[in-house]
Amino acid sequence: MNVSVLYVGSSLLAPLKNAERELNRDYKLNLRLAAANFGSPLSDSEWLAVESDLKQAEVVFAIHVMDGENATRLITALDNYATGHAAVIVINCMPDLMRRTRMGQLDVSRLLRKEEVNGQKVEGEKRTSRRALAVLSAVSSWVGRQARGGDGKQNGKQNGWRHGHGQYLKVIDKLPGILRFVPTAGAMRDAKHYLNIFCYFLQPTPKNIRSMILYALKEYVPDDQLRRVKVAPLERLPSVAIYHPDAPKLFESFEAYRKWYLGRSAKSKVPRLTSAHAALEPQSTVGLLLMRPQVVSKTTRHYDALIRAIEAEGLSVISALSTLMDNREAVTKFFVDDDQSKVQRPKSNARTKDQASKTEDRRPKTGAKTTDRGPLTNDRSRVSQIVSLTGFSFVGGPAMNDSEAASEFLRRLNRPYRSAVSLDTQTIDAWRESQTGLNPVQAGMQIAIPEIDGATEPFIYGGIPASGVEPVALNDRCVRFARRLKRWNRLRTAPRGELKLALILFCFPPNKGNIGTAADLDVFPSLWDTLNKLKVEGYAVDVPETPEVLREKLIGGNAENFASPANVAYRMNVDEYRRLCPYVNDIENEWGGAPGTVNSFGSDLLIQGLQLGNVFIGVQPTFGYEGDPMRLMMARSGAPHHGFMAFYTYLTKVLDADAVVHVGTHGAMEFMPGKQIGLSDECWPDRLIGELPNIYIYSVNNPSEGSIAKRRSYAELISYLTPPIENAGLYRGLSTLRDLLMSYRQANNDAEREHLFDSIEEWSRELNFPAPVIANRDMVSRTDVLPS
Amino acid sequence: MTASDERDRRVLDLYEQLLEIEQRLIPTGLHVFGRPSQTGERVDMLKMIASFDRADVGARAFPDLIAEGLGLTHSQVSNNPHAQKETELRDRQTVDAIISEALNNFLVNGPEPAIDWLEQTANVGAEQSRPMFKLLENVSSHLGTNNEIDSLLRALRGDYIEPGPGADIVQNPAILPTGRNTHAINPYAVPSAIAFVRAESVATSLLERYRAEHGRYPRSMALVLWGLDNIKTQGEGVAQALWLLGVRPVRDALNRVTNVAPIPLAELQRPRIDVVMTVSGIFRDLFSPTVQLLDKAVRVVAQLDEPPEMNYVRRHVMEQVENENCELDEAMIRVFSNAPGNYGTNVNFMVMDSQWEREDTLGDLFVTRKCFAYGRDSSGRAIEGIEARRALDRALGRVEATYQNIDTFEIGITDVDHYFEYLGGVSKAVEKQAGSRPAIYLSDTLSRDAQIRSLEETVRLETRAKTLNPKWYEGMLQHGFRGVAEIEGHVTNTFGWSATADAVDDWIYTEVARTFVLDEEMLERLRNLNPHSAHALVRRLLEAHGRGYWDVEASVLDQLRDIIGSLEDQLEGVA
Repeated sequence: MNVSVLYVGSSLLAPLKNAERELNRDYKLNLRLAAANFGSPLSDSEWLAVESDLKQAEVVFAIHVMDGENATRLITALDNYATGHAAVIVINCMPDLMRRTRMGQLDVSRLLRKEEVNGQKVEGEKRTSRRALAVLSAVSSWVGRQARGGDGKQNGKQNGWRHGHGQYLKVIDKLPGILRFVPTAGAMRDAKHYLNIFCYFLQPTPKNIRSMILYALKEYVPDDQLRRVKVAPLERLPSVAIYHPDAPKLFESFEAYRKWYLGRSAKSKVPRLTSAHAALEPQSTVGLLLMRPQVVSKTTRHYDALIRAIEAEGLSVISALSTLMDNREAVTKFFVDDDQSKVQRPKSNARTKDQASKTEDRRPKTGAKTTDRGPLTNDRSRVSQIVSLTGFSFVGGPAMNDSEAASEFLRRLNRPYRSAVSLDTQTIDAWRESQTGLNPVQAGMQIAIPEIDGATEPFIYGGIPASGVEPVALNDRCVRFARRLKRWNRLRTAPRGELKLALILFCFPPNKGNIGTAADLDVFPSLWDTLNKLKVEGYAVDVPETPEVLREKLIGGNAENFASPANVAYRMNVDEYRRLCPYVNDIENEWGGAPGTVNSFGSDLLIQGLQLGNVFIGVQPTFGYEGDPMRLMMARSGAPHHGFMAFYTYLTKVLDADAVVHVGTHGAMEFMPGKQIGLSDECWPDRLIGELPNIYIYSVNNPSEGSIAKRRSYAELISYLTPPIENAGLYRGLSTLRDLLMSYRQANNDAEREHLFDSIEEWSRELNFPAPVIANRDMVSRTDVLPS
Repeated sequence: MTASDERDRRVLDLYEQLLEIEQRLIPTGLHVFGRPSQTGERVDMLKMIASFDRADVGARAFPDLIAEGLGLTHSQVSNNPHAQKETELRDRQTVDAIISEALNNFLVNGPEPAIDWLEQTANVGAEQSRPMFKLLENVSSHLGTNNEIDSLLRALRGDYIEPGPGADIVQNPAILPTGRNTHAINPYAVPSAIAFVRAESVATSLLERYRAEHGRYPRSMALVLWGLDNIKTQGEGVAQALWLLGVRPVRDALNRVTNVAPIPLAELQRPRIDVVMTVSGIFRDLFSPTVQLLDKAVRVVAQLDEPPEMNYVRRHVMEQVENENCELDEAMIRVFSNAPGNYGTNVNFMVMDSQWEREDTLGDLFVTRKCFAYGRDSSGRAIEGIEARRALDRALGRVEATYQNIDTFEIGITDVDHYFEYLGGVSKAVEKQAGSRPAIYLSDTLSRDAQIRSLEETVRLETRAKTLNPKWYEGMLQHGFRGVAEIEGHVTNTFGWSATADAVDDWIYTEVARTFVLDEEMLERLRNLNPHSAHALVRRLLEAHGRGYWDVEASVLDQLRDIIGSLEDQLEGVA
């Protein structure tokens, strides 16, 4: 017996493999279950394997398939091998695939034409049957509706997504109840089967996935033994809840979770775990958003490791199940204090009687155009930052994104929003080997779209290993990420006077006159204004009297003693460098023995900059090969030079800065070699920035290079305005010529024009305006004009 | 044509050239982080904003509204700089004057009086002009405040920083307020429907310009694609490449651009042009699905059953396979970028640091850095940066014209070093491989009607509008130290166009020398504000002469040498 499952996501494979094993054990079915991840376009050879599975399959499942290329191939194959398939069950796929559902008499393409559901075809059916069909129509068309909703801004604002989301939640909760009253015989038989299978799918516990497969086999594959089998009833879990790896169950309220968490903390023997007293303090609690299917299907090893890594840093965690489509409900329910939220909840004018409005009520009203911009909800948040592990947009799910609603909601909550990535459509091994990192599908879905919601820290922390069936954690990445979160938290909680900041300037091309290079920005006054403001805010900084004094201190000082463009703030001896930096050997392969010739002096590496109290003004070294023709001619560069590495080693290990601010567009660090997106610990920008929170003052007119900084050095950008613009106008000789031309145009008689023309010719020669040289078309031979 | 007609034409042509300079928007200084935009003449910028349709706020372009109100047709009021008739020019100036007047009225009295005035003067209904005035009012009020430093401080204490789009203010006024976390776009959205429509006329103008100068269409072109403009225009540069190939983007059920469909030749009415795309490392990273799309487009076109004289891609691929015993897959490679994890051509570094002897070296360097192929292999497997030097050499060897799209007046070809390293670099590489210098074009899609200019024209325009323009350099010099570095940077970037494309007239260097070095008062200012950059500027002028790009009298050179000597003395004293 053969079942073929084409799916997208990382939570299904483990329960599917489990189902295959258990069904064979319990029923001796000789079942072969072939599963393929359709998350990114398959190569031809991968596709051939899938096609041969499809040829043999009696039952086919297609789940969450949206990729154009894979879907097109699948549609053709489904049509070609239709005769062999006893059933084709398509769930949450693009419309063209939904239409390929084939289960007895069920005709999904008819259901997709909505009017027929409400029209005569269903007249006379029992009320529950009609409701079931309406639900079936809704579930079979939601992907299409989602995509249309994402078509343009206008649609996104309408009820489309909200309605869709409400319905989706409703389906999880209500569908089993509705189905109980639908007859299993007659016209409704196959519709009921579809919906029963769908119910199992919505609660993808290992047991339910096993039941889902068994149910389909029992109903659609003729087999005497199977006909007698009893399929287990649906196992149900709440649609939103709080998860914790150490807890025996999911929590449906924050209070229940809190009770358990505090009890556990009190008993905990882990020394670094937050004390019971401090546990779940809003200032040190990270709110995690998890994919519900991952938790329900018990494929949580990656989540578990990350949660433990965060707790090991002394932070608490609230991990909320996300419902895929809209995270606002989970955030409002679990990350925001209920009582006060009632006080602040804006009044809703138009309330429908729809049952779905119950869930909507709990959400703050977020229509971007109608809200006032005030008051922020700082005081009622239970978390200090939010980390999404869903890999989807905050509002909208896989098929579209309502980033305006997302950023408005997050702005009101005023907690930083991060989005970390578990590899869904490529294996850990494939990612490690890849020189580019994340594949395009994941880069788009898990990085580019969350960025539009304001997400930062696109950090890879887990994925499916080549030999595995479920996601696991990359343990050292989890630790690094947890430490980054910890440092961000410290920025929030530590007394300002204790915080150490590093503000980094650029100097390109390398020349003393270029210290403070930044596109369209006058760096020293900008820096000076910023320092003054920092001082007012309580940071310990000594601000020089004027921007000019600041500049002179930086480019003067002891610079001359070291023939260095800027003042030397620190001399890092080679021994110290070797002790502090674990990557020296890699660099020596590229640049020879430390300290090398760039930014060095004797056996020291020079850190250029100026310490002003707790604020360090640094000058980032350049690539270091600008003046080296041999290196310039290399197709690939392998590593930053020792001076560059020493500079960031100084910031992280010697200065022990709490945050770094890069000042202006742009520096070299984020362009150092490594993967293009989804970095590993072998990538140089990842090694250089380490655990440092990175804020980057960046020109608003350069989103492209800015995005490189966001993705390759985990920078949060603060955009700055470009300079005022005006018409160029005319000057000197050009205005004289313009006047002559005006006079010519206004002149009344030919003699005057002729006279003026002489002056015009003279001035235009003087001003280097040659006569036009557009070729005379008549001179070109006819044959040349024709394409040859 | 009579002598007087010819004179009229020449006058009109000159006048248009001056108008082009006069009306070009330029930055007048630098920004200081956290300070509101300096309130100089805001009317020029508002006018530019108002010259585009703003569908998102339901506003129509003022030139169109006014032309309609006055009963003029669009062609008469387009910004086409080469107006053939005096009357056209006058109509355009009439419309232009009305807009200026309306906006001055708006700045002084607010929107309602300006709306009334426009209704009375040009029959533009209040409901027609109000959305645009609302937008302008919004822009004006945002420019009067600035929260950038507050945002920085909020980020430093771990607050949420709102996301915002990135662009220049004319392209997308929604970039205001600044102080936000700028984001890119979903690469699967590229090119947008609007971008594809806008790109058609650019591609057509580009081909027509070449045809006017060479008598036929170019058979092969090299395009430079960047993330910079494609993010902000939702992929106009990408769409131009698709038009040249003669394909349109196709969206899947989820509205993602994942495929292309050929435009029939009968509809296209011209041959499909072979295009070699050298994309920046940044484009490669931000638009990896688009890289696949472009590769797919080339493969689709190469395999169309069409006569070779109407499908240059197919023609070249067939020739290469037959004549050179080359694999079909290799013959179809057209999308090139850096090695994975690497960025840039290094041509800029080499030029700025004067680390080259022969110009050929610059072209070779470009190829060395950019010869990595991206796309899919014949089995559909993604290839990520396979070194394919021979393929790039062969493809560039056929190129007759090179081209790059420019989307913003804020980042022009002498403002940054990246244009000469890319467009200059690829042109120099073509020159070596093809044996002759290609025609080099830039489009300027920042005005209402996109224009194609040759590189030489663009260098002249940028130099006149910026580097030599007192309005520009005085604005820079208000920023003292940094301002001098900006001026020197412009001279060096201009020099980059000599080194890579020999596209700089002698007079440009002469005027630079006259304006900044031979004028004693100016030189004094520069050396007081930033002697390091002043020194670099004079040194660059001498290098331009030394490398044969600047034919100049010996007396001027003597003066420059004296000056550089005294600057060196000063630096040693200062240092």
